[in-house]
Amino acid sequence: MAFVPIRYNVRSLFVRFSSTCLTVLAVGATIAVFAGMLSLQQGFAVLFQERGRTDLALFMRQGATSEGESGVTRTQCSILKKEVPEIERGADGNPLASAEMYLAVRLRKFDGGETNVAIRGVEQATFAIHGDDITITEGENFTPGSDELIVGGGLLDRIANCRVADTLKINTVTFRIVGTFAGKGGYQSEIWGDLDRLSEALERPVRSRVLARVAPDTDLAAIEARYDEDLRLQPKVINERDYLASQTSSLSGRFLFVGRFLALIMGIGAIFTGTNSMLATIGARTHEIGILKAVGYQPRAIFLSFVGESLLLGVLGGVVGCLIILPFQGAETGTMNSTFSEVTFAFRTTPTAMLESIGFAASLGIIGGLLPAWRASRMTPTQALRRS
Amino acid sequence: MPWKLLVRNVLGHPVRSLLTIGAVMVAVFLVCILQAVTSGLSRSLDASSANRLLVQSAVSLFVNLPLSYQQKLTAVDGVDAICKWQWFGGRYEQDKGGFFPQFAIDPEPFAPSYPEMTITSGSYEEFKQTRTGCIIGEQLAQKYGWEIGDRVPILGTIFTRVDGKPWEFVVNAIYESSSPAFEEQQMFFQFAYIEESLEQGGATGPKGSGLYMLKLSDGADPISVQRAVDEMFANGPQRVQTTTEAEFNRQFISMLGDVPQLLRLIGGAVLFAIFFAVLNTMLLAGRERTRDLGVMKALGFSNGVAAGLLIGEALLLCATGAGLAIAIALSTEETIAAVTATFIPGFALDQGTLLMGATIALMIGLVSGLLPGIRAARLTTTQAMQEIV
Amino acid sequence: MSAAIQLRSVTKSYTRGGEELRVLDELDLDMDEATFYALMGPSGSGKTTLLNLVGGLDHADSGAIQIGADDLAAMDSGELAQWRSEQIGFVFQGFNLLPVLSARENVELPLLLAPLSRSQRRAQAERALDLVGLGDRMGHKPRELSGGQEQRVAIARAIATDPQIILADEPTGDLDRDTADNVLELLQRLNRELQKTILMVTHDPQAASYANKTIHLDKGKLGRIDDNSQVQRSS
Repeated sequence: MAFVPIRYNVRSLFVRFSSTCLTVLAVGATIAVFAGMLSLQQGFAVLFQERGRTDLALFMRQGATSEGESGVTRTQCSILKKEVPEIERGADGNPLASAEMYLAVRLRKFDGGETNVAIRGVEQATFAIHGDDITITEGENFTPGSDELIVGGGLLDRIANCRVADTLKINTVTFRIVGTFAGKGGYQSEIWGDLDRLSEALERPVRSRVLARVAPDTDLAAIEARYDEDLRLQPKVINERDYLASQTSSLSGRFLFVGRFLALIMGIGAIFTGTNSMLATIGARTHEIGILKAVGYQPRAIFLSFVGESLLLGVLGGVVGCLIILPFQGAETGTMNSTFSEVTFAFRTTPTAMLESIGFAASLGIIGGLLPAWRASRMTPTQALRRS
Repeated sequence: MPWKLLVRNVLGHPVRSLLTIGAVMVAVFLVCILQAVTSGLSRSLDASSANRLLVQSAVSLFVNLPLSYQQKLTAVDGVDAICKWQWFGGRYEQDKGGFFPQFAIDPEPFAPSYPEMTITSGSYEEFKQTRTGCIIGEQLAQKYGWEIGDRVPILGTIFTRVDGKPWEFVVNAIYESSSPAFEEQQMFFQFAYIEESLEQGGATGPKGSGLYMLKLSDGADPISVQRAVDEMFANGPQRVQTTTEAEFNRQFISMLGDVPQLLRLIGGAVLFAIFFAVLNTMLLAGRERTRDLGVMKALGFSNGVAAGLLIGEALLLCATGAGLAIAIALSTEETIAAVTATFIPGFALDQGTLLMGATIALMIGLVSGLLPGIRAARLTTTQAMQEIV
Repeated sequence: MSAAIQLRSVTKSYTRGGEELRVLDELDLDMDEATFYALMGPSGSGKTTLLNLVGGLDHADSGAIQIGADDLAAMDSGELAQWRSEQIGFVFQGFNLLPVLSARENVELPLLLAPLSRSQRRAQAERALDLVGLGDRMGHKPRELSGGQEQRVAIARAIATDPQIILADEPTGDLDRDTADNVLELLQRLNRELQKTILMVTHDPQAASYANKTIHLDKGKLGRIDDNSQVQRSS
C-alpha cells in the first residue's frame, strides 16, 4: 500500500497556519498542566523516596503512622538501645542508637504567614549514624547540652529568622542558630538541636523514636515480634526507607491523583478541540482528498495520513506544553505533608516527565484524529470532487 | 437579526457544535471546581466572629495547653465565658475512609457562645446531662442517616481506649448553622468524658486542651484581651498565642503554602486552552461562512448583522457549554466535596463561583466571535463572493 | 414601478498583484425601464464589475450612477444596503442558497429586512415560489434540489421583495441546456408579466438571445447595443 507522503501533511499544517497555531496552543496549555503536575510529583519523589536507607531502623510506638503520633519514654529508649542485639556498635563499642524527639512547631514565613516546621531533638549518636548524609554547610554543629540549633538548608529561603546568628524562641527559651546543614530528603526542611534541651524547653519528656544502625537485610519484623508479649514496650520497627515512603506516599499520591484527574478532564477538552480542527481542515480539503483518491490512494492510506497529521498536531502541542513548563525548572515550592509540616521541594521536569507528557499529547492527537480521518477515508472521489 | 439562521447555523454543523460545546463544558467545569476549592477557604474567613477569641499554644499545633490555664483565664478582664475545644481526630467505624471533624467541648458555655448554631431536633439539655452524649450537624446526620438516640462508634487515633474498642457516643441533638464558618459536618461531645477516661486509665492520649475559646463581654476590646492573655503565660509552662477567629482560620490557609497559587495557575491554563479552542472554531466557521455572509450582504443585511451572526453563534455555543458544565458541577458537588475534604475542607459551589464560570464562558464567546465577526463585516461583498473557501 | 438606469463617466479600477487594472473606463450607458438586457464581452471587460456597481455592492471610483431617483454615489454602505434590499434582486451563477435553510426560508431571508409580519413574510415567499413553479418543494433544503430547482429558488428569492431590477451573473453557467432554457424562459416571463428590468451577464450568445437587447462591453467601454427583437426566441 502506498502511503500518502508526509510532506503533504506538514505542508497542510503550514498552509492553515493560524488554525494550526491555535490548536497547538490549546493542546499546549493542556499538556503544560499535565507536565507541571508531573514535575511537581517528580521533584517530590526525587527528594524523598530515593534517599531512605535500609540500614537504618526506626523504633516507634506501635500503631503510630508517623513520628508525630509516636511516643517512646526515656526508659523504653534505654531498653531498646541496650537490648536489641541487631543494633551495630560504633568504634567506641557503644550501640549506634540515638533517641530523638520530633515536633512540628509554628514559625513565621518570610511572606508573613505561619507554617509548621519540624524540630528534631537529637543525641550526638544521630550524627554518627547518618554519617556523611548530614553535613554542616555553614557555621558549626550545635554544642551538646547547649541552647543552640542547626537549620536545614531547605528552610533558609522560606522561614524567617533561621540564618546563622539569628535567634528562635522555642516556647519560653531562646535558642541561637549556629549552623546550616545539608541533609537528605525531608531532613533538609528540619531544625535540629540537643534532645534534652529541646525536650525541656517544649515541656515534652517523651521521645518520638529511636534511630539505630543495623545490617541492611536485618529482619525487623522479627525484632518487633520479639516484643509482642512484652509488658514494658511494644515498638513498631521499620527501616528508614519504608518509613519515608509511607510518609510521602500520601502526598505523592495526591499529586499523581490530582495530576491524572486534571489530565483526564483537560485531555477530553483537548481531544474535542483537535477533532474540531481536523474536521474543519478536512472539510476544506475535500477537493484534495478527491484528487488523492482519484489518483489511486487507498482509503486506508488516507485514513493513516490524517491520523498522522493529527498526531503531528498533538506532538507539537506536547512540545509547546513542555517548553512552557521548562522555565519553572528548579523553582522551589512548599506545601505541607500529613503532619502539616513544611515540605520544600523543587519543580523537576525530568526527561521522564517530558516523555510522558509528549506521549500523552500524542495519544490525544491520535484519538482526536480518528473521526475526521475516518470520514475522509470514506468519501467517494466523486463526492469529494463535486463539493468544491 | 435573523435568529432562526443563527440557530440553524449551530445545528447545521452538529458535530462541530457539539465538540465546541463539549470543550467549553469541560473548561468551565474545571474552572468552577478550582474556584470552589479556593473560595471555600476564604468563605470561612469572612464569616468569622468578632467577639470570640481562640487561645492556642504558641509553640505548635500539636501541643495542648494545661488544664490549669482555665482557672487563670477566668481572671482576665472582658471574658464572659471560656470553652475548651479539643480536636479528637477519630474515624467513624463504618466509614473509615470518610472524614468529618469531631471536637470534645464544654457543653455549658458552648451553645451560648455560638448563636449561629440552632438545635433543630433533640435536646441540648439532654446533651448537657449525658456523659457520652454528642450533638451533630444536619449535613452529618443526612450523610450517615443518624437519628436522635443512635449510638455512633468512633475509633480514636489520638485518644485510644485501652480495651481497644471504639468510643461510643449517643446522638442527643442535631443542629443547623446559619454561618458558613460553622460547618454542619461536625460532631461535638463532652470534654469531661474524655478527661475522665484518661484519668481513670481507660484511655490514653494527650492531657490538656488544644484550644481555649474566650467569649468576649459586650464592649470588651479584643486587642487588650489578647495581649493580657499572651502576657499572662509568657513564661510558660506553654507559651500561648491568642488570636481572633479570622486569624485562626487564616493560619490554616497560609499553611497550605503555594497550593492556592498553583490552583490559580492551573485555572489560568485551562482558560487559555479553551479560549484558543473556541477562537479556532469560530475563525474556521467564519471562513466557511464567508460566502454565505457575502450573500446576506448582497441581499441588504448590514455589516452589523453579518458580524452579529458569528458573535451570536459563539455566544450560543459558550452559553450552552457553560450551562451544561454548571449542571454537572452541581450534581457532582457532593462527591467532589467528599474527595477534597481530606486536603482542603470547605469545598462548595456558591453562586459567586458559578456566576464567574458563566461570565468567563460568555466573555470567551464574545471575543472569539468578535474576531471573525469583524473580519466578516469588513469584507466587501464582492470579496466575500469571490473568496474560495 | 421600473426605473431607468443611467451611468455617466463611470470608472472603476482594481489593484491586482501590484498592478492597477482599469476595469471600467469612463463608461456612459443608458438602460430603459422594463427591458431585459444581456451583458456580454470578453473576460476582463468589466461585465461583473458593472453588475456589482449597478447593484450597489461596490462604489465606482468616479462618475455617476443614477437609478430612477436614486444617486448611488451619494449613499454610504448602510444606505446602499437598505436600498439594495428594496430595489435589487440578485441571481448568481453558483445559486448561493444558504444550505442550512429550506427553500422557503431562503426566499424569506430578504423579507426579514422589510417591515412585514411573520405570516406576511411567509405568504409572500410562497407566492414567489409558486411563481417560479416550485410551490411543492418549499420545505426542501438546497442539497435535496436539482441545480435547476436551486436556481429557481434563487430567482424566487430575488423577486420576493418585488424589486424593480434583477441582476443576474451568469445564471445558467452551471446548468445543462434544457434546464438553462427553463430558467431563461422564467426570466423572460418576469420581464414581460411583471415589468422587471433585468440585467444578465452572460458569455453564451444563445442565452443572450432571450433578452430584448444585448450590451457589448469592450475594454471597459461601451462597444455597441444590439436589439434582439428580430432574432429573439419566444416562449
